[in-house]
Amino acid sequence: MNANDSMSDTDVLNAARDSLSGMPVASAPDVEMIMARGRARRHRRRLVPGVTGTLAVAAGAALAVATLAPASHRAAPPAGRQHAAHLAAWTVTELADGNISVTIRELKDPAGLQGALRADGVPASVTFAGQLNPACRSYPGGTIPWPPQPPTPLLRQVFPKPYGVLPPSADPSPGWSQAPGHGSPPPATPAPGRTVIVIARSALPGHAGVQIAATHSAGWIGPVRVVYASPQCTSS
Amino acid sequence: MSNERAEFADFFRTGWEPCLRAVLTVVGSQQLAEDQVAEAFVRAWASWRKVRSHPAPRAWVVRTALNAGASWWRQRSRELPLAGHDLTAPGDPGEGLDASLLAALRHLSPRQREVIALRIFLDLDTDVIARQLGIEAGTVRMHLSRGVAALRRELTSTNDHGG
Repeated sequence: MNANDSMSDTDVLNAARDSLSGMPVASAPDVEMIMARGRARRHRRRLVPGVTGTLAVAAGAALAVATLAPASHRAAPPAGRQHAAHLAAWTVTELADGNISVTIRELKDPAGLQGALRADGVPASVTFAGQLNPACRSYPGGTIPWPPQPPTPLLRQVFPKPYGVLPPSADPSPGWSQAPGHGSPPPATPAPGRTVIVIARSALPGHAGVQIAATHSAGWIGPVRVVYASPQCTSS
Repeated sequence: MSNERAEFADFFRTGWEPCLRAVLTVVGSQQLAEDQVAEAFVRAWASWRKVRSHPAPRAWVVRTALNAGASWWRQRSRELPLAGHDLTAPGDPGEGLDASLLAALRHLSPRQREVIALRIFLDLDTDVIARQLGIEAGTVRMHLSRGVAALRRELTSTNDHGG
């Protein structure tokens, strides 16, 4: 008779617990990040009653980042939008074609924006310090030339052009840059002084996410860089 | 509000590891478990006033994490993997997991793993587990009994062969 035959149920469960407890596991993420995501989720739920998870399964998406608008000057919602969450510094909107636009009015609350994007099914790492997360740079497609050269398969539409070269206010009639073969018409022209970046969620298969970095430059919001990110980068 | 934040932060700090281990026991993948538990805590904070008054808040997190995993799978089932990315394949065991125990866990049903995880990591009794899972206490006892029996057999087998 084996000694284990006489193990009580409690002994077996204790042995299982001891063994599993010895296994290394990841330390807890930053609680502020968790709370930012929760806050974004709560905010969106309040704004769109009954919509709590449908965004996460949209077939394709893009995000638009608009900058330089005063905090009190909110972007008009795109005509085709389905759901929207608004905060003072930025706006996240899902468009009718499944794309998601994000309007940033100020470089504030990157964790909140990150949480809002994640809540909408776009794993994201957002920094407003201008530096991409080094942990993401080895990821396929995780690096882009500097200065940025959109559009790319990930970054489908950019407003205004030339992207990242001139302050948005320098061109009185800025236009859109679009990825080759991008069939959708550009969204409505944003208000003057805004930058819009459109990212295709269909370019994010599997666990891939995006990392977004922006910084102030000479008094205006500089180029917003958007590249692929690994789950380790986005904590998603 | 600041009290709620402090309260949640403490709940998160103390609950992360047991919840993660419980979910990991069920799903068998470190990456998946981390994803799902993080998402569950996000939802817990989004509904904190409800969760804080829940009779077993950690069990709420574990159930939500496992449900989030199901959603995750439904979502990803329509997508193609990114070539060359560095993910742990879904279902891969976490590093360091005891091999014999893993073998035993693999042979359990998800429900059996869940019952065992709730018992050993959240220290929930049969009645609480039953309420959490929406099943009868007798069903919990059955899952627990069968799961424990399978684990015992594996431990016995390991000792027999390991000397």
